[in-house]
Amino acid sequence: MELDYDKLLCLTAEIGYQLMESGAEIYRVEESMNRLLEAYGVTTGEVFAIPNCIIASLTTATGHALTQIRRMKAHGTDVDQLERYNDLCRRLCREAPPIEQALALVAETARQRRQWSLPTQLAGYFLGCGAFALFFGGNGRDMLCGGLCGVVIGLCMYFTAHWGANPFFRTIAASAVSALCAEILTAVGLGAHLDQIIIGALMALVPGIALTNAMRDVMAGDMVSGISKVAEALLIGGAIALGTALSLGMFHMLAGG
Amino acid sequence: MEMLQELALPCLYAFAAGIGFSVVFNVRGVGMLICACGGGLGWLCYLLSAPVVQSDIMQSFLAAMLISAWSEIMARLRKCPVTSYLVIALFPLVPGGGIYYSMRYAMNGDVQGFMNELMHTLGLAGALAVGVLLVSSLVRVVNARRQERQRPTS
Repeated sequence: MELDYDKLLCLTAEIGYQLMESGAEIYRVEESMNRLLEAYGVTTGEVFAIPNCIIASLTTATGHALTQIRRMKAHGTDVDQLERYNDLCRRLCREAPPIEQALALVAETARQRRQWSLPTQLAGYFLGCGAFALFFGGNGRDMLCGGLCGVVIGLCMYFTAHWGANPFFRTIAASAVSALCAEILTAVGLGAHLDQIIIGALMALVPGIALTNAMRDVMAGDMVSGISKVAEALLIGGAIALGTALSLGMFHMLAGG
Repeated sequence: MEMLQELALPCLYAFAAGIGFSVVFNVRGVGMLICACGGGLGWLCYLLSAPVVQSDIMQSFLAAMLISAWSEIMARLRKCPVTSYLVIALFPLVPGGGIYYSMRYAMNGDVQGFMNELMHTLGLAGALAVGVLLVSSLVRVVNARRQERQRPTS
């Protein structure tokens, strides 16, 4: 049977797109796409990915050149999704099923996406931020406050994502609201250590993932991606400081402190 | 008893935080335990290495190396991407406090304190990055060599 190059290119670009959207590193995206092309017997394929764009290109047996570009929008990290697409890609490379079947499998994986419900995610924020408030030297009451501020951050991130705000604005907004919340909780006497509460809650926003991924990209030789992710990490760090400062400054001005 | 409090409790907190953030980043099943254990182990390494190296930047570096090695091993065992375990286990080491205190110094107009704290924060972040980078590069080299050896036979 004649290989349908158009569909193969669609399949490759789709897998790459989904991997990157769930937070894979650049080299994993490129390597997976290359392997997929090779599994279908295309040795003239070229793949190039940077954090917001994927380009896949191949030359058919008759010498015809095909290219597809996928623009990547801002995305988060979804480990479950990443693992499933990674498994799917390994399976496709191993079995190389007919392309129609492979596309159906991709669609099936997208349909089966599992996400925690909002309340469960908020419970995660509560536990994570509360534990960090303790971790940084707070007491039991600080844990409660840190957890509450974490929940506020979770809500803030959830709603700003639905409004389509950009990541820096979202970070500024979330850190400002959570710092305000921490100030109020401390002012009414529930929280004991303001610093520990704020830091604990901020841990939900710190750019640890961006920094780690950036380093892994640099190590794999993708300098462009690595540097742009380092810049992203620094900007997010700045956004956290800015948001918190905004809120603390306002609160002190209003409270007359 | 005092030792228990100083060592075990922070690691326990790091573990709990790891579970919490696993939910946020949609890690499921055994992966949650692996992430959280990585976080706890990393912090244990950070605390235990304190008397030896006496610098929190070096402590972060060692802990980052341990976490990185742990995640690489676990990812290999479960045939999953390493990032999933790495990023959450590293959370306790990320200098969130540094960002906050630098900001406080800047707000108070203490330029000297701000610069000190900022440089310290960047140093911690750098130590983290270099620790991860070192282990991951080593793993890649070892992997590449193993594949080279396997290729002629297959």
